[in-house]
Amino acid sequence: MNVKKQVSADNKTITISIDDRFDFSLHQQFKEAYVDANESGTSFILDLSGTSYMDSSALGMILLLKDHAEKVTGQLKIVNPNEAVNKILEIAQFHRLMTIEL
Amino acid sequence: MNEAFGNEKLALVVDDSEMQCKVLGILLKEEGYRVLSANDGAQGVSMYIKYQPDLVLMDINMPIMNGHEAARKIKALSKDNSLCPLIFITSMATDQAYIDSIEAGGDGILVRPFSPEVFKAKIKSIQRISDLILKNKALQQAQQKDAELAEQLMSGVIESRNYARDKIGILKKAATLFSGDIQLTALCPNGDVNVMLGDFTGHGLRSSIGAIPLSETFRTMTKKGFSLIEIISQVNQQLHQLLPPDLFLAAAFVTVSSNDNTVYIFNAGIPDVYIFGQSGSIKHRVSSNHPPIGVMPALLDDIGLSVFSVAETDRVVLISDGIVEARNAQGEMYEFERFEQAASKGIIQNNIKDEVLSSVEQFCQNMQQEDDISLIDIPCDGWQQTFAVSAAPVTDQGHDYSFDVEAAWQWRLKLTGSRLSHVNPIPLAMNQIQEIEGNEDHLQSLFTILTELFVNSLDHGVLGLDSTMKSCADGFAEYFMERERRLKVITDGFVEINLSFYPNASGGRVVIGIADSGNGFNVNKYNDMIRDHQMQQEERSKLSGRGIHLVSQLCESLQYFDQGNQVQASYVWN
Repeated sequence: MNVKKQVSADNKTITISIDDRFDFSLHQQFKEAYVDANESGTSFILDLSGTSYMDSSALGMILLLKDHAEKVTGQLKIVNPNEAVNKILEIAQFHRLMTIEL
Repeated sequence: MNEAFGNEKLALVVDDSEMQCKVLGILLKEEGYRVLSANDGAQGVSMYIKYQPDLVLMDINMPIMNGHEAARKIKALSKDNSLCPLIFITSMATDQAYIDSIEAGGDGILVRPFSPEVFKAKIKSIQRISDLILKNKALQQAQQKDAELAEQLMSGVIESRNYARDKIGILKKAATLFSGDIQLTALCPNGDVNVMLGDFTGHGLRSSIGAIPLSETFRTMTKKGFSLIEIISQVNQQLHQLLPPDLFLAAAFVTVSSNDNTVYIFNAGIPDVYIFGQSGSIKHRVSSNHPPIGVMPALLDDIGLSVFSVAETDRVVLISDGIVEARNAQGEMYEFERFEQAASKGIIQNNIKDEVLSSVEQFCQNMQQEDDISLIDIPCDGWQQTFAVSAAPVTDQGHDYSFDVEAAWQWRLKLTGSRLSHVNPIPLAMNQIQEIEGNEDHLQSLFTILTELFVNSLDHGVLGLDSTMKSCADGFAEYFMERERRLKVITDGFVEINLSFYPNASGGRVVIGIADSGNGFNVNKYNDMIRDHQMQQEERSKLSGRGIHLVSQLCESLQYFDQGNQVQASYVWN
């Protein structure tokens, strides 16, 4: 599985990590990783340290996750993108829409 | 699939024993098949060709052509068709027999002796796989049709309406799976040209739903004379409302104005936009500074257009990420450095499109192209207004238009305070003229007159900007930024536009009056200059002041009143 999900002990933080390529083929898996997390105030962390490549559908999927986080009045943070992936986030100016930690 | 007999499937049994053929035939008929039989491999192949069965049962040891050879032939023939499952029936229960059968293209093997129940179960399982493959194939075909439709929509319907396709170099190489790059060009009423290179998220038909409203809005608003930022803002709002949250448009928008030797660029989510000099040097790189179009309900407030003064020989080049992210067999990306080298070389040789494409192809070798490759190459010169400004304006001395004659219609708009920064009155005014008089030929001239006079009133009158700022190339960009800054904080002042139309037998006269709240200027000197039509050559080549010169040449008369904060222009058409 390229999409891994980790739930913290207090159930408040959900970490989703993507290995290898983050593209349209992960659509379903990615959605399943967060869609049931409806607890108010949940923190979503998208860990991209293992992501080697990201396409524009992945950007779209991140926007869907952001919408979900906002719906449950939670937060979204992207962490550890590599240089190539960060470049793509930068071109899309996603730091203006969400928190990105290098 | 053989459709001639409804849903009944056809099986072919190939066995040199007639007895075996009969036994298998009975079992197959019980499973709802019609059955044909052949008694050697060669006959089996020819019957396969003739009847295209849905299932083949094949003995191995047969005269003339054995089962393995026949299977190879049949599988070679059915490669492009549906999977026709082929099962070997044999009494050789060895590992090698099994391996050889699968190698020969068999989808399964049944070792004699077997019970009728085992036989039927085997047939069922193999048919289930075959049905799945058929279903998958049908889905693939539907998807392929969608992709073709999407591509036809983009290139055939939308991009074929682009402006100046002979002058603006457009490279577009779609990936096998069409992915939604879109390239638009359109002519502004004042002769400027608007260009957009966009990349919708996703693939296939899904990625092209936004293309129609995008191109309609881009073209219509450009034609009506809305400014680039107004067009982008409208497109953003539209796509935000229309598209699901994960679908958006990464795009760069460019206006090239050769009247002002100026380029305006807005990059929302695509790779750097380049301005190249004649020698292939990179003069400017404009990085994305805004999230893609359609992501947010409105454009970010603090982001405006980037403005550059350009030389006539400069070129603006836009690329999609399909170029810089193209990969070779080692997984390396093409990247910006290789692009810049190829582009510089291409600029010098005047074939940037071909140079970049062949460089990308050489780098990727035979790797399958993953994403659309797009490039737009726009010359900075040659977009001057098409009407002859040196021709004498039409006058209409045969008719007396004293102003006590009642106008056929009048239109008035007074914009005050912050409305001046939010509303562009020119398209509104143009719309009036067009709706009532519908005279297409003169709209370009009228647009120029209205725009120049309004911008003068707003910039120099209300905002108090000094046109001498524009006297050098860098000053132009500075002027533009200062203008943006002052517009943002404007709280008072006004500009009033009056249009009156006086018809005659073959046309008529539009009288345009514009007044502003500014301090004006030395009117006498200016009116003299206009009347004399004697602008010195040096004046003309300056970056400012050309607007009024142009207007005076288009109009029958142009006059400033009061302290220079009122102007009246009269334009005649026949």
